[in-house]
Amino acid sequence: MKKILAIILCVCMVPFMVACGGGGQSGGESSDGEQVTLKLWSIATESDANRPAYLQAIEDYEAAHPNVKIEMEAFENESYKTKIKAAMSGGSSEDLPDIFFTWGGAFLGDFVDAGKVVCLDDIYANNYTEEQIPSVMLNNSSYDGKHYGVPTTFNIVAMYANMDLLKQAGWDKVPETYEELTKCCDDLVAAGIIPFGCAGSETWCVTEYLEPIILKSIGYEDLNKIFAGEATWNDPDIAKSVDTLQEMIDKGYFDPSGIALGNDEVKANFLAGKTAFYQNGSWNTGEVAGADFESSVAMFPVMNAERSTANCAIGGPSDHLAVCSESANADLAAEVAVELGKEICHYNYLNAVGLPAWTPDYDTSALEPLMVQIGDIVNKCEGMVLFGDTAMSADPAQIYLDYVAKVYGKEIDGQGFIDGLTKDLQ
Amino acid sequence: MNKMYSDKRYIILFLLPALILFCGVLIAPIGASGYYSFFDWNGFTDKTFIGLSNYKELFTSDSIGFMKALGNSLLLAVLSVFLQLPLALLLALVLGKNIKGERTFLSVYFMPVLISTVVIGQLWLKIYNPDYGVLNVALRAVGLDDLTRIWLGDKATALGAVFVPILWQYVGYHMLLLYAGVKSVPPELREAAMLDGASDGQVNRFIVLPYIKPIIKISVIFAVTGSLKSFDLIYVLTNGGPLHATEVPSTLMISMLFLRNRYGMGSTIAVLLILLCFGFALLINLIFKEED
Amino acid sequence: MKKTSKAKEVFIYIGLFIWLIINLFPVYWMFTFSLKSNPEIFGDNVIGLPKEWLWSNYSTALHTGNMGLYFMNSAIVAVSTILITLVVALMATFALSRLIWKRRKTLNKFFMLGLTIPIHASIVPVYVTLSRLNMLNTYWALIIPYSAFSLAMAILVCIGFMNEIPHELDESACIDGCGVFGIFFRIICPLMKPAIATVGIYTFLQCWNELMFANVFISNNALRTLPVGVQALSGQYTTEWGPIGAALVLATFPTLLVYIFLSKKIQESFIAGAIKG
Repeated sequence: MKKILAIILCVCMVPFMVACGGGGQSGGESSDGEQVTLKLWSIATESDANRPAYLQAIEDYEAAHPNVKIEMEAFENESYKTKIKAAMSGGSSEDLPDIFFTWGGAFLGDFVDAGKVVCLDDIYANNYTEEQIPSVMLNNSSYDGKHYGVPTTFNIVAMYANMDLLKQAGWDKVPETYEELTKCCDDLVAAGIIPFGCAGSETWCVTEYLEPIILKSIGYEDLNKIFAGEATWNDPDIAKSVDTLQEMIDKGYFDPSGIALGNDEVKANFLAGKTAFYQNGSWNTGEVAGADFESSVAMFPVMNAERSTANCAIGGPSDHLAVCSESANADLAAEVAVELGKEICHYNYLNAVGLPAWTPDYDTSALEPLMVQIGDIVNKCEGMVLFGDTAMSADPAQIYLDYVAKVYGKEIDGQGFIDGLTKDLQ
Repeated sequence: MNKMYSDKRYIILFLLPALILFCGVLIAPIGASGYYSFFDWNGFTDKTFIGLSNYKELFTSDSIGFMKALGNSLLLAVLSVFLQLPLALLLALVLGKNIKGERTFLSVYFMPVLISTVVIGQLWLKIYNPDYGVLNVALRAVGLDDLTRIWLGDKATALGAVFVPILWQYVGYHMLLLYAGVKSVPPELREAAMLDGASDGQVNRFIVLPYIKPIIKISVIFAVTGSLKSFDLIYVLTNGGPLHATEVPSTLMISMLFLRNRYGMGSTIAVLLILLCFGFALLINLIFKEED
Repeated sequence: MKKTSKAKEVFIYIGLFIWLIINLFPVYWMFTFSLKSNPEIFGDNVIGLPKEWLWSNYSTALHTGNMGLYFMNSAIVAVSTILITLVVALMATFALSRLIWKRRKTLNKFFMLGLTIPIHASIVPVYVTLSRLNMLNTYWALIIPYSAFSLAMAILVCIGFMNEIPHELDESACIDGCGVFGIFFRIICPLMKPAIATVGIYTFLQCWNELMFANVFISNNALRTLPVGVQALSGQYTTEWGPIGAALVLATFPTLLVYIFLSKKIQESFIAGAIKG
């Protein structure tokens, strides 16, 4: 028996011993002259609106730098989160990309803390000016004053409206105050039109409805503090915001099927003229503009004029490229990532799938009018609050999303929401 | 020959591949999971030793909801044993009597087992679709509009809706196992009982069932541990939602690992899952021994 | 023999037919909606045969969805897994049931632990090890774990079959001058053919369906297996059911075809496993 045990033990040790020996770097290639292939991971799958911008930017870059080849692999959004974290925790250079897509805020922050990301300060300082990339646009990917990410776009939560349906209910403009909005929704419901659609199976879609209401109730300064963990959730106006959302659900303003649907299905319903409004990120602008009805865009109205103005939005640059510190060609990859990010941003803007984080240095006269409309809204903004689940780190973000899901499922009311978050997130 | 067969070198040689594979991929990872379960670890930064805190938090925290997930999978195990198995047994008994079309029935009933779980999941996702799914369409067609539901989105129906395909898919599996048992009952036993005037039901009860008890035991073990392990279909259909209504330990573990970056906690769930599977397998063995 | 009453027989057949339809209908529905356009699926022709047979759904699934490639990948992984499992399990079984040493029963029980271990529970450590060995994004990243997790069942089945091979065969072979390897390869292995079929089927079922490992261990699109491919395609075409249906059919029908032709054999092997186990 002892012998068997010994054998088993030896055998068990094998993977670990190999593990300890196998950490060596694969030989790095030099970046001058030689052909270099860089691996890029993104979420720009066939159905993703960002894909054309990625492909165009890569094509341009490869044309200008014939010695660099960029291989992109695209993953579906949810499974990408799993994949990139698993790859980062595995930690061997072979399985990691050189450049990877990441969300700003805490998502990238966790990787930065673990020393897995290349600092891009030198490249920004040497190759680009403040004119080109305003430092405020780098805030969501900066940690301890150092920049680690390249914003590829910039988005806010917008309320898209199907004006054809609104006209059927007797409205020829998008409601501007909350009273008007309720009146408009009542008229829509009376006309047999469902006002809103919201995907319950993807909780981030629910936050696209809830966060603007909270924002317009307590103002951007206070909400930023709460997301950053500097203030507690215990704020009666937040409870009131939650109650407002639930009231809207109770009054039949939301498509009841939405709770079981995904975002693509809900969006398809809006684009097919099934719901009158669709509140989601401004990356949808191109698709909405392409729908065969007259569309318009607005912001959720102010709820509490004492604490918030109309001129603030949920959003910011949340999509980024970053460079893996274990890349064999990290220096080159860093240069490529910044230039690529800038160009993706450029094409995304022209394709109306996002606002420009990088100041446009190209002709924008052919821009989609709906995009121009959003641009005007953004220009008036005094403050922004990054999407809550991006601003918080993974564990609290998930707890927060859980509570948001409970709100949509009407398992808790506003008081329960703030009590629960105050208790679980401190 | 015995001398040749006792040669240690051969014994080691023949066992080595299996031991390497088995220990390297199953046993060592269990050990590693056990080790990780004592740490607070996000998967890429340094681990902090926290003793049994993960275990304590798992059992006490409402926001994690482990007890509910465990309850769900135990409920699935109960349904599996008391609904799926009896149905499989009934089919096996009926088909075991040489009835017409036996082979066709058998082949069709076993078919779902061969279809990939992801395919079954996607298919049922479409069946349950609130607007265009065949279930709601059928209900509307026969005028039962009141019975239409948002099957996978409503907390009240989601768990049931997820269990149906899981139970359905493996009825054929258990049926075939039990059918084999029924077929292996010696015809003389059956005929002798018939001659003594036993009815069909009595033959089944006093001859067939005791004879196939070992197979029933295997079926029960597979049904229970299979329920505790269930993951794929739930992952495809609801991934534990809505509002954790369909959460089971495996889905909870995956969300701990990859959504919340809590590798320590995920490993804790992994360890508990393994212990539960072992525990139940032992318990079922004991119950069947007790009966003898 | 007593005759079962006519009424009872009818009742039994009605029951059997209902269950038959419950098992056939989803497959039938999948097949029909794979050939329909959205308006037909969503409109009034929900369960009928397609009015217009839309084969373009299949070309979408094959070209955009790469189903052919994923099918090949799944086949490569499945076949390799089955081969490795068989070789390793046969060798271990030979040591456990033929060779003579103390504690072999204990070791057998040790292997049987593998029957109850959930495959997902080892995902993190296995991932870390594979990554350190630079084996992620290769077929091996799936073949090795799948083989390991199929091993317990394979040994269980093989022991059942091998115990039935009379020891006299070994002895006469030994007298004829066969060594241990000779007996194993020339006498035992050829007689284990039914076991090989059974193990093959069990192993196939396990690795053909697996989703979680395949999703996490393979990031290279070109190496994806069918379950991951189907899942990805459904993510891309959430609102267009036709191509999803086509992908589901493509992922299912090859297996079903084999099953239709070999159903008796497959069932017999499956049953043999249960009895021997």
